[in-house]
Amino acid sequence: MTEVKMKLNGETRSASVPPETTLLKMLRESFNLTGAKLGCDVGDCGACTVLVDGMSVNACLMLANQVDGREVLTIEGLATVEYLHPVQEAFETFASLQCGFCGPGVIMSAKALLDENPDPTIPEIRDALSGNLCRCTGYTKMIEAIQDAARILRAKEHA
Amino acid sequence: MRGFKVVEARDANHAVALLAELAPSVKVLAGGTDLLVDFKHAPHAPEVVLDITRAEDLKGVSMTDAGLRIGALATHTDIMRSPLVRESLPALVDAAHTIGAVQTRNLGTLGGNLVTCVPSMDSGPTLVALEARVTVAGPGGRRELPLTEFFVGPRKTVLKPDELLVDIIIPKKNVGKPTDFLKFGLRKGQALALVNVASSLWVDPKKTFVEPRIALGAVAPTVIRAPEAEAYLEGKKITPEAMSEAGRIAAGEARPISDFRASAQYRRDLIAVLTRRTLENACARVQDVRPGGSK
Amino acid sequence: MNDKLRVTEKELTQEALRDPTEALRVPVVTPPVPYPIETLVPEVRQQTPAVGQRATRPDGRLHGLGQTRYIDDLTFPGMLHAKIKRAGIASALIKRIDTSEAEAMPGVMAVLTGREIPVNSFGPSLQDQPVLCDERVFHAGDGVAAVAAVTEQIALEALEKIKVEYEPLPAVLDPLEAMKDDAPKVHPPASNIYSHKIIKKGDLEKGFAESDHIFEARFSTQMVEHVPLEPHASIGMWDSNGRLTVYSSLGRITLGRTDIARTLRLPINRVHVVATIVGGNFGGKNEITQEPVVALLAKKTGRPVKAVYSRGEEFTSSTTRHPIIMDYKTGVSRDGRILARQVKLYLDGGAYCSWSETTLGKACILSPGPYNIENVEAEAFVIYTNKTVTGAMRGFGAPQVCFAYESHMDDIAKALGIDPLEIRLRNAFSEGSISPTGQVLHSVVVRESLERAAERYGWQESQS
Repeated sequence: MTEVKMKLNGETRSASVPPETTLLKMLRESFNLTGAKLGCDVGDCGACTVLVDGMSVNACLMLANQVDGREVLTIEGLATVEYLHPVQEAFETFASLQCGFCGPGVIMSAKALLDENPDPTIPEIRDALSGNLCRCTGYTKMIEAIQDAARILRAKEHA
Repeated sequence: MRGFKVVEARDANHAVALLAELAPSVKVLAGGTDLLVDFKHAPHAPEVVLDITRAEDLKGVSMTDAGLRIGALATHTDIMRSPLVRESLPALVDAAHTIGAVQTRNLGTLGGNLVTCVPSMDSGPTLVALEARVTVAGPGGRRELPLTEFFVGPRKTVLKPDELLVDIIIPKKNVGKPTDFLKFGLRKGQALALVNVASSLWVDPKKTFVEPRIALGAVAPTVIRAPEAEAYLEGKKITPEAMSEAGRIAAGEARPISDFRASAQYRRDLIAVLTRRTLENACARVQDVRPGGSK
Repeated sequence: MNDKLRVTEKELTQEALRDPTEALRVPVVTPPVPYPIETLVPEVRQQTPAVGQRATRPDGRLHGLGQTRYIDDLTFPGMLHAKIKRAGIASALIKRIDTSEAEAMPGVMAVLTGREIPVNSFGPSLQDQPVLCDERVFHAGDGVAAVAAVTEQIALEALEKIKVEYEPLPAVLDPLEAMKDDAPKVHPPASNIYSHKIIKKGDLEKGFAESDHIFEARFSTQMVEHVPLEPHASIGMWDSNGRLTVYSSLGRITLGRTDIARTLRLPINRVHVVATIVGGNFGGKNEITQEPVVALLAKKTGRPVKAVYSRGEEFTSSTTRHPIIMDYKTGVSRDGRILARQVKLYLDGGAYCSWSETTLGKACILSPGPYNIENVEAEAFVIYTNKTVTGAMRGFGAPQVCFAYESHMDDIAKALGIDPLEIRLRNAFSEGSISPTGQVLHSVVVRESLERAAERYGWQESQS
């Protein structure tokens, strides 16, 4: 068994898992954080996207051991008790998700993008979402929502 | 995934020492974007996985006496974000950008891409066109060799089970050399290249080609150079006709296969077009970059 | 924003994998979510101002929070994981299945084969699909045995230990080949053509005789997988009164319930199907797949059993869109009016019927296109082949024939030198048109929408 200790959604947490456990499996089974989904298990669909030290990664392509001592943010850690994250809020307002299975991954990718680039162009948003497959929506409303969230975040920055 | 043990390496030397101890029943984990996928589908798991992701001395991009050094563990995102690379060799940024998607670029490493050695690798052609060299560490110490000699065949390199790719060096004379990379895949995101091409060149005051280098990917067992097209261009006046002709010659030098993605003839046509375009783009970059080093 | 994300740091004790308390603990940060369900019920026949308005979804908030629970997100105490062994051979007789080695593996709780299934056949129209093959394999993605184990990995490794002895049979993979009399039968002794439809209107021969030009073309489309982001997943469990509960990513709950009850030879009121939010359906989750397997494994072990398709299984063992070979013969007047059209459709049905009859009907009815044609004959066949099952998918055959008749229309327009928009306007349905099946059509806006689309696109300008 491998001991993994990390900062998970802002809290220091630890788990003991077999060494071959992926980050995704640890999040889902050891911490019951089922927001990140298993869609393809080979890093194509992006349904398992989480942020490790602020960078978006496919949780199915990392061993749990690799996040030892690092910061992991999942979809569950994005909202606070009082507030939704602006991306989540915009996704709700714009009805950007249909079946919703890809949603947590898409939102985490969008957050990573906005953290780095507060005013992304449409091609930049498309590029940032190229690792997140969605079969329902055609992405249009996601792009609109991300632009809207970016506006809100920029306004907050200035306030 | 089947069960295996994980051993962590602190740095490159520690990794080499562990490899010597554990080889051959050990696999090296760098980015994991290929390795873990393989494990999930392989009939047998390795006994031990050597996790080198924490070996800091294998990361980073820096300028050394020999040239631009890219650590084998530098991720594609690291390369895209490196001010050094962005300034002196933007084609490397373009090439890194065409790999996978954001998530895989954040994990996947340049070294891993080279070691996995699939013929359609997107980081290969630009490095080959820049005559990159690689450093390999093993029980007998370190050795340096040209990248073209590092590749052996599809998914096969010169690395022995107890050896490790340490870094990739772009020789000083080629740092700042106008270069361009183009990839043709069936989609923009997450697609394998049908063909990818990189060209690098200098232009002398008489507006002729100096040291043109053309590298072709996905059209032979490994990334290859197109020496005949290069020889044709050397010293030639820069004209659209010359660049088209070089494309045609390069197409004849490749050995593409027909598969479900494209026919060999289609790939040949692509080589001709992409080679011409990379040459044009590289020429257009001549004004943008200051020749560094010896030039 | 980031500051708000940081919840007070707490040092917690070590937790071990699959500690029973793990499943009960709430996630690291769980926002309490008001869940407003405000359902607007429009009055019958009243126009709702939906078009042009932005609608939010009642489930949108939980989706965005990652709190929506799909099947794979559910766990139950003592739950086991099931995996199905796939045949990997297109057509064969099963001589012998040896599961002893798998059963002896530590962690394996039960193994199931086709012979143990009370009624080993299901399907939404024809019940021609075995839950797990017992005597014969019909396509490579067929299941031949299943394992329930304490972890998914053990189940997967147990599958490798199951030895199946096959006697390979000739396989038929091309629908046109399969139609021939001497072709191997996919489901002997039944014919490979398992459904057929013909639509006739007017006098085809007369129409062709009056035509100035006759055009013939063959079009074909490929197999398409739905690729829902959520793979097929189900959980089965029994209560102490012998009632079965199945959680499943299923679009047609009652149909699935009937099929599950039938395969298990249970009265339907003993089966409770819970269909939670489906992570993408597109027609691919319109019938049961592995539900009887998890139910029987749960019965054997007395524990809840979950099974989730791998992405590979999604492609080989779930339904796909019908590839159709479409032969069109169209007689037109010099000015581009269609006088007669003959269509022959050959639908590759794959190994089982699934929703083929529905697809066949719809493809056949729609195949002449939205055009006034006096003399029409459309004939369609759906044919068994030893390939992945084809079934329902968005449009039930309509997209395939649309591709064919519109491509055909372009070819005709080009040959006659008529503008492709113009030839469509000359033939398009209008108010009161009668379809090939004799239906009088109302609210027909084909012309108006074509004209408006052309205007918005700038069709005339683009032609000059």
